[in-house]
Amino acid sequence: MNIFTKRYEEMGEKISFIKIPRTIRVNTTKISATNLKERLEKKGIEVEKVPFVKNAFYIRSYFNIVSSPEYLLGLFYIQDAAAQIPVDVLKPKGLVLDGFAAPGGKTTQLAEFCDVIAVEQKKERFTALENNLERLGIRNCIGYQMDFRSVNEKFDYILVDAPCSGNFMLEGKQWFKKNSMRRIEERARLQKELLSHAINLLNKDGVLVYSTCSLEPEEDEFVLQYALDNFNVKLEKIDCIGDPGFTAVFGKKLDKSMTFARRLWPHKTGTIGFFIARLRKC
Amino acid sequence: MLDFVAKFTDKKIKIVKIGTKFFLENKQLAKHKLDAKEKIFGLYLGEQKDTFVPSFGLLNWLAEHSEEKVFVKDIGEIDFLYGKNLRARHVARVEGSTKIGFLKLIQNEHDENLGYGKIVGEFGKTNQVVKHRMDRGHFLAREKVNKVDKKA
Repeated sequence: MNIFTKRYEEMGEKISFIKIPRTIRVNTTKISATNLKERLEKKGIEVEKVPFVKNAFYIRSYFNIVSSPEYLLGLFYIQDAAAQIPVDVLKPKGLVLDGFAAPGGKTTQLAEFCDVIAVEQKKERFTALENNLERLGIRNCIGYQMDFRSVNEKFDYILVDAPCSGNFMLEGKQWFKKNSMRRIEERARLQKELLSHAINLLNKDGVLVYSTCSLEPEEDEFVLQYALDNFNVKLEKIDCIGDPGFTAVFGKKLDKSMTFARRLWPHKTGTIGFFIARLRKC
Repeated sequence: MLDFVAKFTDKKIKIVKIGTKFFLENKQLAKHKLDAKEKIFGLYLGEQKDTFVPSFGLLNWLAEHSEEKVFVKDIGEIDFLYGKNLRARHVARVEGSTKIGFLKLIQNEHDENLGYGKIVGEFGKTNQVVKHRMDRGHFLAREKVNKVDKKA
């Protein structure tokens, strides 16, 4: 047993590797979920609705769907169901800032609802974002290759899908070898800095969704607690699958409203590990 | 870029140029620009390299405004996306000009754009009719070159 599985047990979870079916999100700017389902089924692909997110399907295919015309035409995006939740939780209108946009799953999903300012710092990741915007035919996104901390304008809606340490469902056993508490703490420091900057960019009464694909409280609840302690923000209830965030963990007492956040444990939700919270600036 | 568009339609296209890249003019988006240099501005139309390289966004735009189309059957769709030229058996119907040398948008049976090619034979008479120029299978090649974390 490694340090992380011990920690999960301390959190009350006995984790296990699960097999997640490939999941796609329908690009509703190009096709309806019903029509896409029909087209894929005609090609012998098994298609099953994901019950807890809109416009998502589990698929089982005897060939690699990445080479299918429907993929190349941008009719869908391959995206874990958990990663589709933040946009549903944010419910943006008008204009949204996507702070960490590449490779573009959430950006292209946001573009279904409103105009998007997408920011990505790394060149190779920015290129992936460009390709996905082109493949999905997105017309209402402005992209900047820049450090998020250099953005200096105000927004009513911001998505902070923060860079994180990831989780074991993404990389398998390698994840346990690759990670250490030192690395988690380094990430947490960066996340606090990025979230602080995002809150400063938020208009009064504006809404921000903070998400990570980390299951480590240091990158999730502790980052939110830092925001609650240092800024005029509150957590809001969200309606999605997952367990409530912790109000006490590893000897730390946290704000009661932390139960409004959601943590998605793979063995419970059948998704990758994920954490989501919705903040409003007071 | 405008020369390329003129091969398919008389419709005027309003463009914004950023460096060597072209984007579709979008007044709504222009309201949102940050105080920094953007790299993407709405619909990407293509890039001026030695010659103009159109984007698939431009081909989609053209498909909305042009009649210069070859519609292909399912087998033609797959073959064209694998970079093959179009043969008589691939073609479902043709709209617009059938003159050799003309550029045509290649559409599937749902009228979705797959790419474009150049007429090299006589429809109904010769076997090879359209020489492949560009197809959406190119996204696969780009993804291989630019492998990034697909988690999100």
